[in-house]
Amino acid sequence: MKFNHIKSRMFNTMIVVMLVAGFNSCKIEEQVDPNNPSLEGIEANATVDELNNLVTGMLSGMRNRFDTYLDDMSVIGRDYYRYSGSDPRFTSDLLGKESAVLDPNTFYTTNPWADHYRIVRNGWILRHAVANTSAALTAEQKNGYTGFAKTMQAQQMLNCLNMQYQNGIRIDVEDPENPGPFLSYDASLQGILDLLKAGYDDLNNSGDEFNFILTSGFTGFDTPATFAKFNRALAARVTLYKGDFAGVESLLNESFLDMAGDLTSGVYMVYSTSGGDLLNDAYTPLNSSTGSNARCAQPSFNTDAEAGDLRVASKTVLRDEPAFADDLTSNYDVWVYKSNVDPVCMVRNEELVLIHAEAMNQTGNSSAAVDAVNVIRASAGLAAYSGGTTQGELTNEILNQRRYSLFAEGHRWVDMRRYNKLGELPIDRPGDDVWVQFPRPANEEL
Amino acid sequence: MKQFFYKLCITLIAIPAFCNAVFAQFDVNGTVTSNKGEELIGVTVSVKNTNTGTVTNENGKYSIHVSGSSATLVFSYLGFRTQEKAVSSAGSVNISLEESNTELDEVIVSGLATTVKRTNSANAVAAISAKQLTGITTQSTLDGAIYGKFTGAQITQSSGAPGGGIGIRMRGITSINAPAQPLFIIDGIYIDNSSIAAGLNTISNAAGGGNTAVFDQDNASNRIADIDPGDIETIEILKGASAAAIYGSRASAGVVIITTKRGKNARKDRANVEFTQSLGFQTMLNPQGTREWDADKVAASFGEGEVENFTSAESSGTLHDYENELYGNKGLLSDTRLSFSNATDKSSFYTSISHKSEDGIVENTGYTKTSLRFNLDHKVSDRIDLAVSTNYVKSSADRGYFNNDNTSTTMGISFAGTPSWAQLQADEEGNYPDNPYSAANFLQTRDLMTNNEAVDRFIGGANLTTKIVTNDRHSLKLILNGGLDAYTFQTTAIFPKELQFEKNGNGTNGASIQGTTSSFNDNESAFLVYSFFPASGGFNLRAQAGLTRESFERNTIIATATQLIGAQTNVSQAGSVDLYQFRSKQLDLGGFGQLEFNFNDKLILTAGLRGDKSSNNGDVNKIYYYPKASAALNLAEFAFWGVDNWNQFKLRVAYGQSGNFAPFGSAFTSLGSTIIEGTAGSLINTTQGNNDVGPERQSELEFGTDLGFMDNRFSVELTYYIKNVTDLLLVSLVPSSTGFVNKVTNAAELRNKGLEVGLGVDIIRKENFTWFNQTNFWFNKSEITQLDIPSYAVGSFGATLGTFYIQEGASATQIVGIGPTEGKDTSDNGLVVWGDAEPDFQISFNENLSWKNWELALVLHWKQGGDNVNLTTLLTDIFGTSPDYDDVTQDPDGTLANGPYRLSQLGTTAEVFVQDASYVRLREIGLYYTFGGLNSKTNNTLQSVKVGLSAYNALNFFDYPSYDPEVSNFGRNGISSGVEVNPFPSAKRFYASVTVNF
Repeated sequence: MKFNHIKSRMFNTMIVVMLVAGFNSCKIEEQVDPNNPSLEGIEANATVDELNNLVTGMLSGMRNRFDTYLDDMSVIGRDYYRYSGSDPRFTSDLLGKESAVLDPNTFYTTNPWADHYRIVRNGWILRHAVANTSAALTAEQKNGYTGFAKTMQAQQMLNCLNMQYQNGIRIDVEDPENPGPFLSYDASLQGILDLLKAGYDDLNNSGDEFNFILTSGFTGFDTPATFAKFNRALAARVTLYKGDFAGVESLLNESFLDMAGDLTSGVYMVYSTSGGDLLNDAYTPLNSSTGSNARCAQPSFNTDAEAGDLRVASKTVLRDEPAFADDLTSNYDVWVYKSNVDPVCMVRNEELVLIHAEAMNQTGNSSAAVDAVNVIRASAGLAAYSGGTTQGELTNEILNQRRYSLFAEGHRWVDMRRYNKLGELPIDRPGDDVWVQFPRPANEEL
Repeated sequence: MKQFFYKLCITLIAIPAFCNAVFAQFDVNGTVTSNKGEELIGVTVSVKNTNTGTVTNENGKYSIHVSGSSATLVFSYLGFRTQEKAVSSAGSVNISLEESNTELDEVIVSGLATTVKRTNSANAVAAISAKQLTGITTQSTLDGAIYGKFTGAQITQSSGAPGGGIGIRMRGITSINAPAQPLFIIDGIYIDNSSIAAGLNTISNAAGGGNTAVFDQDNASNRIADIDPGDIETIEILKGASAAAIYGSRASAGVVIITTKRGKNARKDRANVEFTQSLGFQTMLNPQGTREWDADKVAASFGEGEVENFTSAESSGTLHDYENELYGNKGLLSDTRLSFSNATDKSSFYTSISHKSEDGIVENTGYTKTSLRFNLDHKVSDRIDLAVSTNYVKSSADRGYFNNDNTSTTMGISFAGTPSWAQLQADEEGNYPDNPYSAANFLQTRDLMTNNEAVDRFIGGANLTTKIVTNDRHSLKLILNGGLDAYTFQTTAIFPKELQFEKNGNGTNGASIQGTTSSFNDNESAFLVYSFFPASGGFNLRAQAGLTRESFERNTIIATATQLIGAQTNVSQAGSVDLYQFRSKQLDLGGFGQLEFNFNDKLILTAGLRGDKSSNNGDVNKIYYYPKASAALNLAEFAFWGVDNWNQFKLRVAYGQSGNFAPFGSAFTSLGSTIIEGTAGSLINTTQGNNDVGPERQSELEFGTDLGFMDNRFSVELTYYIKNVTDLLLVSLVPSSTGFVNKVTNAAELRNKGLEVGLGVDIIRKENFTWFNQTNFWFNKSEITQLDIPSYAVGSFGATLGTFYIQEGASATQIVGIGPTEGKDTSDNGLVVWGDAEPDFQISFNENLSWKNWELALVLHWKQGGDNVNLTTLLTDIFGTSPDYDDVTQDPDGTLANGPYRLSQLGTTAEVFVQDASYVRLREIGLYYTFGGLNSKTNNTLQSVKVGLSAYNALNFFDYPSYDPEVSNFGRNGISSGVEVNPFPSAKRFYASVTVNF
């Protein structure tokens, strides 16, 4: 008994020592994310590959749910109806059905905003990474990265501002812990313009070639010099939005405007069916039922059109059966994207010609404006412009050409708003509203 | 922590060294039988307030050595009323134990290595016996079998899809962010209860619009469904931190401790071989009907062009009841079980094999499961006991394709958009026409697509108890426990290219989405338990200390192949393949110590402390401590207590803390991968990492009383709790202009308060007729008591349709939405509070009647209040297919029909979408007849045959205008249960069964 006692005491002591030692000696290893690269590592010291991944990440990511942005802009701008069997708010909230209003915390407001600013963040990561990297890069190569990043950041923020209008946007978002203030609409436009200018300056000091590859959507704009023309085209658009018509022309001169050139020449977002790539969600097959997803032209697009306008024939297709849902009827499918891998345009020569026309008209050069309008009309199979040439008459003609040239690409709403003509947009149902702007996303009010 | 352990250890080692005086002694022996005269094996016979005890052998006989001149013997046995018998001299004492319906005599968990008699417990631990669990009707899944059988839980079945999918909330919501589900422990083994999505979002794009939770809307089942309810002996439920503190950082959502059947519990009166066969069917629980059409209605809802199609279908008799065609399948149910158990002096075992097969109410859906269990107990020596549990499960569930989408391709949503004159049937060659009214022909989808979950799972564990010291005054035991849970989970979702939404430029030209998850969890623990019974009597003491280690590993790979080549489903036979991988790895280390003082069952004091560290915390080596303390006072045990018919009066109070880990990866800010034109890129993820993130901490104070009258014929259990969750983990929104959408932070506190009442009445207790009633009543109220970040909406589809809204001072589960604020409660952002997901109260009635050889048992469950966000009606309204579209019952002005009225409210108010989800349902009912006493001289194999009829959810009463108020589009995700978007409808099940005992 006694012996057993002692034995068990020793046994106990051993076990206890083992247990206590076990608990204290077992250190748990610090975890690294087993699924993804870390932000800290890349911002502190990125390799060239990692920098290039960030470039590609921006080009790829900017396509995420871009269809929601297009739907928002085009439905409110009365380009088309967005029928959805799964979500009624495309035909209620966006069209202001009865007492429906735009909600600051619903996907149509929050998703495009967040998706665009995500690209802006990736741009900042790229800019920080370029500043801190110890990779063997020349100053010119570094400028290439930052010129690219700034241009794309500006392009993304402009889309946000198009939705937010007088609510303005944040321009300074470098520090996620401490983002800068919301600026007024005009100050926001100026901020975007300044960012484009900074990017343009970088691009002008970037040598002959980028140290990264762009997508096929940038064909013809894939060197610092040609990419800079894309940058200037965006700057021309922003300047036009600012109403600084006198400032537009010099920017257009530095852009790829070509009055005699291919109107489709420009910069595009591209899609493919290959693994991991995205499909163009703005594409809907012909004769889609309104119970699924369908995009059908607002009837006035076809009824208002001049006879023989090739753009109407190419951008809309008569449906087998009219689309009908939620008291909205349309006979025509939108047919801007003819497959789920058709590219989406960011800016093209056609718009630049129209910007030129508008700037000329607003600065009193109506004949140059008419010349530019006629370039567009000719391309659409229409006779030369024969209407009045007062500034107001020409403004209407230019807006009309923009309507048909840039149909379903998110321009109509902005254009009518710029000229205080939102009241002229068609109302489909009694009680519908034409919104002036989206509410500021709810999570920005934190 | 170190200090604490050393002190405890020194106590543990020092006490056995004391010597003890020698007293008078004598032996008592006898036989223990049931009141029906059968000898009972394994009855615990102990000398009260001492360390002496034994169990009856296979003939029901025992022999026990008593020190002292007199003593009280205690005879306890699971399922029987405990008896005490005073003895003062050597001799024979035979005892007959009475069967018990109440739970008062069980032992329940008190520490990680110890149990305590229920009468001495300071916690209201719920317990469910095998009889309650599976005795009424055949159960489909374990978690579905417990609702209504104990107080304090809200259990929500996500949908009616075969194979389960259930969320459990114990004592209110305890976490807003993570899917905080209870910890399941089976025979000491930590059981994985993940819900793993199949990747259907590629097709449904459910996250594309209003909600960005990519994997939450796939209607996945949860893995506790793998456990066969028929194997379970008891379930104990630790609902809050006051009881669950012993499990520390994983216990904040409660702990469900399951003990499976074992050979040592084999009873003489219960045959060792049991065969059960149940056959049944299931049908749609609450068909909604379809709209009655006429030409005017067709023109109004579908346009003039459709009138012709309607009239021609009407005249040719080809109008279809598509609800019946899609959901009208009478699913065959079959459940087969064979179990065998035996016990000898040294060893005992229990083994079972069961096979379950269920067809869903939608054709081509169903569930099969085969489970094999082998449990072994072996006495290695007088000092060493070994218990081994093993379980292998193979299951397969075909779950259909339902819930929210943004492509109108799920069967539920395409059905909602399809009127009765649509012609969707396949022709003789099996070619399906396109559905002109929706993106999908749901009959084609049903017949051609696959959405299968398959599981191969092994669960095994062992428990070794070594009595290091055992004498009259002291005992010291070492308890080693280890377990592992390993499974492979495969999801196969196949959308052939001939589906309407996959061909002709719709969709991706076919998709084959195949996921494989391997999960491996293991847990080990070592505990020392020391008991001390001082010679002076007066009290006894028990101390325990030990260490635990748990490790969890998961690796999920989902291959999504699109642009399929022909009819091939092999993912390499595709034009495009996309891979997704998710890996997680977690290691937790913990220590636990506890002291219990028992003053002759009059006063029981307990104090314990658990410390945990985990690789999931921001600081991986920081130890988080979780204390507990409790007191139970049994007034009826005191000498002054002289009330004859009032045999129990216990006052109890318990306090404890527990935790909940941050979701895996909360500390990381990472870049995701993205591809364009074959070039890979890095894109910042929208969740911002947080290195300061730590576990949520729950503190619970629980107090109550247990009353027993007339030898417990009438018993009352009353519990009130206050549960505070601090450092609440929130996915707090950040201004998305930063490029991030959210980050995980510890930024809020919430409080749950609730009342639980259990009332047990032996209404009739006669030899041939018994009637036992257990009534449970409970409610819970939550409040966000502190919010360090601005109020925010979460977990639904925005304020237009009704959303959850986290706001300081408000209920954690309030549902707010747009609407006229006049005379209404409003949230701080001016929205109207339209409802709350929390029920006002719940009541369940459990009745057990037996008359001669007949048995009738039922569970009636009433949930009052608790609101859902129901968007199913909205979608059918938009398409004009709602069954009540033309009724005029809702418009306060009495002018608009329901459909147009509800549509007119869209964008004006969310009121019509926030709906009362109250119900009364006969959850379970079973009627059985037993042919007993069959063994005779000519027949010595067959003992008894039991036949019966039973049903699950047979009767349902609710005003909720859809298939079932119990529903969740987002599965068991933290806060957002009770959101409905065209789910797989619920079913009711009916069974006939026969059980044969050999």
